[in-house]
Amino acid sequence: MTMMDVLVIEKLNKFYGRPDKPTVHAVRDLSMTVRKGEIIALLGSSGCGKTSTLRMIAGLESVSGGSILLAGKHIEALPPSQRGVAMAFEGYSLYPPLTVRDNIAFALKAQKLAPDESARRVRDAAKLVDIESVLDRYPSSISGGQQQRASLARALVREANLYLLDEPMGQLEPQLRAVLRGRIKSRLNDNAMTAIFVTHDQTEANALADRIAVMEGGVLQQFASQKDLKTRPANLFVATFIGEPPMNVFEAGVVRAGERVSLALANGPGIDFAAGDIAAPVLTAIGMRSRITLGVRPQSVAVGRGALTGTVTSNQWLGDQSHIAAEFAGKTVVAVTPLRVPARPGDNIPLSFSAADMHLFDSDTGAAISHGRAAA
Amino acid sequence: MALQLQSLSKAYMGKAVIDGLSLDAATGDIVAVFGPSGGGKTVLLRLIAGIEEPDSGTVMIDGRDMTEASPDTRGIGMAFQNYALFPHMTAYDNVASALTPRKLDAGEIRSRVNQIVRLLKIDHVMGHRPRELSNGQKQRTALARALVGAPKILLLDDPLRNVDAKLRYEMRLELPVLLRKFGSTVLYVTQDYKEAMAIGNRIAVLIGGKIVQVAAPGEIYDHPGSVEVARLFGDPGINLFDVTPDAEGRISIANSPLPLGSGFASSAGRPCVLGIRPDALAITSSANGATIPVDVLAETPLNDKSVLLLKSADGKEILAALPAAAAGSIPIGPAHAGFAPDAALLFDRTSGLAVPRAATRS
Amino acid sequence: MDHTSPLEKFLRGIALTMIVVFFMFPIFWIFLMSLQTNETILRIPPSFVFTPTLSNYTALISGKLTSASGTLDIAFMHNLWNSVLLSTFSVLLALLLGVPAAYAFARFKFRLGEFIAFTLLSFRFAPPLLVLLPLSLIFQYLGLADTYIGLIWVYQLIALPLILWIVRGYFEDISPDIEHAYRIAGHSWLSAFLKIAIPLARPGIAAAGLLAFIFCWNNFIFALILASADKQPVTVGALAFVTASGIQYGQIAAAIVLSVTPTLLLALYAQRYLVEGLSMGAVKG
Repeated sequence: MTMMDVLVIEKLNKFYGRPDKPTVHAVRDLSMTVRKGEIIALLGSSGCGKTSTLRMIAGLESVSGGSILLAGKHIEALPPSQRGVAMAFEGYSLYPPLTVRDNIAFALKAQKLAPDESARRVRDAAKLVDIESVLDRYPSSISGGQQQRASLARALVREANLYLLDEPMGQLEPQLRAVLRGRIKSRLNDNAMTAIFVTHDQTEANALADRIAVMEGGVLQQFASQKDLKTRPANLFVATFIGEPPMNVFEAGVVRAGERVSLALANGPGIDFAAGDIAAPVLTAIGMRSRITLGVRPQSVAVGRGALTGTVTSNQWLGDQSHIAAEFAGKTVVAVTPLRVPARPGDNIPLSFSAADMHLFDSDTGAAISHGRAAA
Repeated sequence: MALQLQSLSKAYMGKAVIDGLSLDAATGDIVAVFGPSGGGKTVLLRLIAGIEEPDSGTVMIDGRDMTEASPDTRGIGMAFQNYALFPHMTAYDNVASALTPRKLDAGEIRSRVNQIVRLLKIDHVMGHRPRELSNGQKQRTALARALVGAPKILLLDDPLRNVDAKLRYEMRLELPVLLRKFGSTVLYVTQDYKEAMAIGNRIAVLIGGKIVQVAAPGEIYDHPGSVEVARLFGDPGINLFDVTPDAEGRISIANSPLPLGSGFASSAGRPCVLGIRPDALAITSSANGATIPVDVLAETPLNDKSVLLLKSADGKEILAALPAAAAGSIPIGPAHAGFAPDAALLFDRTSGLAVPRAATRS
Repeated sequence: MDHTSPLEKFLRGIALTMIVVFFMFPIFWIFLMSLQTNETILRIPPSFVFTPTLSNYTALISGKLTSASGTLDIAFMHNLWNSVLLSTFSVLLALLLGVPAAYAFARFKFRLGEFIAFTLLSFRFAPPLLVLLPLSLIFQYLGLADTYIGLIWVYQLIALPLILWIVRGYFEDISPDIEHAYRIAGHSWLSAFLKIAIPLARPGIAAAGLLAFIFCWNNFIFALILASADKQPVTVGALAFVTASGIQYGQIAAAIVLSVTPTLLLALYAQRYLVEGLSMGAVKG
């Protein structure tokens, strides 16, 4: 652990149910390190353990095993008020009898600031999330989106070692999201605030986080930057979870003829790469496997040229990009391109993708074997 | 004409939710009804289905006035947003319920139900109760129930809303193919503009209880009829600026002049609103005659593009979108933003309506 | 976080025990009394130790009460039968009338709807004594006095409001869209009512029926005034034990045990439904 590590989690475990008969192993052996000033997203579908993890860091859930160090101090046994964390809840949790202004100011009470300094910070936080107009209203009289923003302001106005945000933007009006994301990211970065937020929306995770921890079934699948998750997913789950539309996945047989290695997809089409196209490190990584799982992102599938053919099942123009689905190798392959494509359902179109855009995974374990020209 | 809605109006507690709405749909037409929440989309479907009665106006189905007809006589199929499956019946009985009122024998019912559930890939869960099904299976069961009677008119109320992202995308690809196979006239309600563009061959934009524009998806995206419509299409949303064009078709943003081309010369002197989509903005490090100085505050990378938050000299927030491959190429700090004149959309500031660009003489 | 200390658990246990004793003791005492002879009952100080006897029960069941002043005919079993008859048919009628009415109140918003519903509920609150005197005169006039039909009709005052309010809550909790979906599938509104609404509201209907049965069974005043010995339920029949030669405590106790047992068993069996039925009807979404 270095001076720059604010949060160190080691082998964190959470069981729900009776101690002698645990029913759910919600978080399994989670270990991760967060540096000062980093914004981290815990991303996964519902039930993956991300919210349990956040609540354990906050102190709202007991820790079944493992440790949590914040700024060098063990906090897993401390009550929430003594941990030095600020939290914004998914359910807003504003105090009903206080106005929005007083709710936000409440978070500053412990810091014993001069009244005008406190008022200034409250105004500043309100401006960040665009709720200045409702500062003197009560929580019950403002919309869900405004309540969520107030909750966010309340969390961000405090000084804390760590900011925890539980699905911070889920209720916000879609038009506001893009602007608010930019502002909040800007604010967090300017003040070197360390934050962890939970979300099931990968767009949000991608937009705000420096690194994303993808979780599934209580297990941390991969903890990396958005770019790494996209270009070097650690396993098939991360590969198909990250990215919209989801990655195209095919089962392929590995065919060796002397020096040439080709991948045979179902229903015939073989991806035959001239020597050198499949890079040497990749060949080594494939090893002696006879089957392999192949993944290609829709944005990397080129339509209109290439040696492979697919039969178009749908062609949708979304204003700034085309989504084309075609029957290929017994499955549906999806291609995304910023151009308009004049193909109609039933047409045969040429497709291609290069070895540089292929991700190979082990057919049994799902672990990544190679990404493009490099081994995983 | 399979469906004709004429001047429908419906008010709740004094507030008009549907206000003089008219719409036509031919047989086999797939119309996406799109608009912000509270715009009246669900109420519209309920009026067509007959589970609510309009205050005024008519609903014509296949040329017959069905405004007063009860729901069981209208020959429609409907899939509700919350599925509305019968909890005390199996999935099979749920689907078959649309066929039992007809005088068909059990074998005929069974074969029709099996056909449709095989198509929707839920044949293996037919013996289960709704509470044992996943959201995706519930949604497809509701869809099967709506489709199995081969209705003339199919009403789908945001059926993909509660479904997880991966399945939602899959259904977005499969549904249009499926619907076209059935040939029913479809009204598909959604709050997601991408879904509307993907599924409908026409989009009816419903705002404030009125249909403000009906056109093919590409047409609405490229030529929105008003500022409101322009705001609804596009992610991130369109950038809007208050401008007043001069006689040469130039406008100024944050005190920097920009050309719009001669197509808008007729709007000289009129207060207008300029709309520029984020992907139409080009960010450069140095100025040319057609840029304004901006401050790049933050970059939020998305899946298929990267969004930059910019601030102009007069403090206005602007969003620009870069293709995913260019993510990280623009550093935080001062820069310049510009756009091609024909990417500009102009709207009248008072009415909000689009100002058409006059064809330029060559 | 689970923080209950042993002390909390101990105090909780004490509180629960006290509450149970408070409520169950009278019933327990009566049960004991029913197994004692009059002499044992009246002994001072009262004791828990005695030789139990079934003579009270045999007297009730055989219909012959032997006391110091001779043998009396007791019509207790007949009273029990009357209770069963009256309660059952009252509840059946109330369900027949109340369930469709509850559906109408739940689904249709008509003018004065709330007002009518509340008026019907108020019958529960009104003291029966208010209506009894006029009612007995009217009954005499109509020839309904001392008839089963007359009593069943009057018992609607007890059963109907209960059924209306509980079942209405249940119908309100069923999303109307489910019935709409059934209608759109091509079924008439009657079919939707019978095949969708009623099956889904069944727990509430059962709970309401059960509760109404218990309240009808327990009713005293209507039967006392409007029925003669022939039609009296057990509640009134117990008065017979206040004889000229003194109060037959043993038999009363046995009579109480026999009259309480059916409803107690019913409630125990269906307690889950009762709580569910009552709370669901009361809480509007």
